[in-house]
Amino acid sequence: MNEIAIIGAGGFVGPALVESLLLDGADRVRAIVRAYRSLASLARFGSAVAVRLADAENPDSLTDAIVGCSLVVNLTTGAPHGIIRSTAAIHEACVRARVKRLVHLSSAVVFGEVSSPSTADDSAPLTKHWMPYARAKAASEIFLRNVLDSSPVEIALLRPGIVWGPRSPHTLGLVESLLQKRAFLVEDGDGIFNSIYIDNLISCIQACCNDRDDVRGFYNVADSEHLTWRDFYSALAPHLDCDMARIARVPSSHFPWSVRAAIDYLQALPLINLTYHRFKARIPIALKARLKSALGGNVSYERQALHYQATPYVDRELWHLQRTRYKLPTAKFTDRFPAQPPVSFDEGISRTIKWLSHIGLIAHEPCYAT
Amino acid sequence: MTLDTMIIGCGAVAHKLYGRPLQKLERAGDIRVVAVVDPYLQQARSLQSSFPRARIYEHANDAIQAALPKVTFVLSPAHMHAEHAVMALQSGSQVLCEKPMATSVRDCATMIDSAAQSDRVLSIGMVRRFFPSFRRLKQLIEDDVLGQIRTFEYREGKRFDWDVATPAGFQKRQERGGGVLFDIGPHAIDLLLWLFGTLCVVSAEDDALAGVEANVRLQLKTSECTGLLQLSWDVPLANYLRVQGDKAEAVLPLDRFDRLAVKKRNCYEELDCGYAFPADTLKVARRHCSPSLYTDAIHCQLIQFIRSIRWGERPSVEGPAGQDCISIIEDAGCIRQPMDMDWLDPRRRERYRELQRSGTL
Repeated sequence: MNEIAIIGAGGFVGPALVESLLLDGADRVRAIVRAYRSLASLARFGSAVAVRLADAENPDSLTDAIVGCSLVVNLTTGAPHGIIRSTAAIHEACVRARVKRLVHLSSAVVFGEVSSPSTADDSAPLTKHWMPYARAKAASEIFLRNVLDSSPVEIALLRPGIVWGPRSPHTLGLVESLLQKRAFLVEDGDGIFNSIYIDNLISCIQACCNDRDDVRGFYNVADSEHLTWRDFYSALAPHLDCDMARIARVPSSHFPWSVRAAIDYLQALPLINLTYHRFKARIPIALKARLKSALGGNVSYERQALHYQATPYVDRELWHLQRTRYKLPTAKFTDRFPAQPPVSFDEGISRTIKWLSHIGLIAHEPCYAT
Repeated sequence: MTLDTMIIGCGAVAHKLYGRPLQKLERAGDIRVVAVVDPYLQQARSLQSSFPRARIYEHANDAIQAALPKVTFVLSPAHMHAEHAVMALQSGSQVLCEKPMATSVRDCATMIDSAAQSDRVLSIGMVRRFFPSFRRLKQLIEDDVLGQIRTFEYREGKRFDWDVATPAGFQKRQERGGGVLFDIGPHAIDLLLWLFGTLCVVSAEDDALAGVEANVRLQLKTSECTGLLQLSWDVPLANYLRVQGDKAEAVLPLDRFDRLAVKKRNCYEELDCGYAFPADTLKVARRHCSPSLYTDAIHCQLIQFIRSIRWGERPSVEGPAGQDCISIIEDAGCIRQPMDMDWLDPRRRERYRELQRSGTL
């Protein structure tokens, strides 16, 4: 394989991709990160990964960082207002550095609740989504769509749903909510769980990287199974001593507002969101600690809660995700890259449970030496 | 008497943790920062802006010769602690060295010898000794509230977000003192040693391939109980210490260091964790503080250090205790095994283990 540069390599997907590439024998992997702190999750690979520091919003520093690579994978996230800037900067750097192919990770969130069965890989994203992250991802897609045919760089855009499995922050959040008995299902959890297991996403990225022909285009990527949120919760709940029948149900017809949800709503307004993200970085560490301590609420000493919350806090993003109506089609990707052996849902759950045991959230393993 | 002070290392630790508490000491007239040392001049200048009377030096040796500091704070990267501390001690300076004490037991011994020969204080920065909940837990164990200790479980991990100025912490241990066990391990091991007296490593596993580990698990044994220590740089763990005795269980949340609960008869009871640490350097302290913030705890640690210089009180952590932590880490390194990551694809899992065993990639 040619040398591959991974921009935003220090997050959740990046280390998994680096690990797979190295274990599959790649000997030239370059990780591009903004700050040294991002190296923590890559430190175990040592000198097997070449590391460059670069600002993903600055095409000059990026060009220097990726020069010599024929493949670039963009896994950057960050504050919404930076997403569109980094997409443009990364593309510009790829052009300048004569990169052959750019694999850009977008998100199925650009289609909101997938309210139409005809939503396809090339459908236009929602530009007026309530969530700043979704708006930013949509704007990035529009930018890339506009340059897709004219760019000297082959652009492949992958659009995964929820990425789940070991180390997934999303999975951890749901597991925590099940353990603490504050999980909820919209109606009875009939919404579609548009998702992809982390290893399957890595396979999709690698397929895009390895293909010899032109791969440019937009592709939805997802697990092959047709799953609902109830299916996902039901697979995890027994391992977490959580009774599915006692998980709170919330209506789909209207969002159950709370003070916290209202604060989240205000925070998502474009101007406030921009100000919030700019201001957040400047808050002194001591003040942050004081705020955290003051707002931290009660500490949970139990490994898991004993009582189910009848009216738990309903996160607006999760509520919307659970209202997803249709599974995104993935035929375009599977037709184009047919040789990808996916990890089945059951196998993914089994591996996730093993990982949850390892980190102590499932106490079925002996914790103590004998 | 105001003590002329030198700060070696102007990175994230100096800026984010020690900066304000040191300013507070300077305002109180206990110290006067006269030298800041860092080869990265931009960082040194940034720290100097908080201590206008300080001069900037690129090398510690130059600063020692020019400024003749009475007190030195060693806040440089871990692999330089021994060199900087010994240099300062030999010049007659009293030293507080941030954890980890050094990157080898041998270096720790050199530092301890140096302090003894020069008859100077060598204190190790283990700030968590100043967390009220930690004191309370120790008291519970000493007062036999928990009964005979059977097991403990210490899990600490989150995505690493410390804005470090150099990549030293992520580089090979022999050269740079990197890895999560060297980063948060000293805090955890110091606490466990302090609580239980002795520790022995039964087994150790980590995920390092060609680099340093981001995840580590140690099975440990004390004279009377066994336990688990798990640390992570990339996964949010439960972040607590659970101590199970035959009378009761104590749970100490590691991220809320003024909270502690004891479970008796299936019910957790939160305990008052107030603890009065001296907050000034008068012989009989007039002010006291029960820290609820990291910077407050650092301030108490600095006060204790100054008190040990001025009044001969014992520093909270001396060289030998710091050395014991490094000794445990070295023991773990001697018996470390590849972490069995059974959640990986079977083929990759086997490959991972092969590569870990061979130490090549």
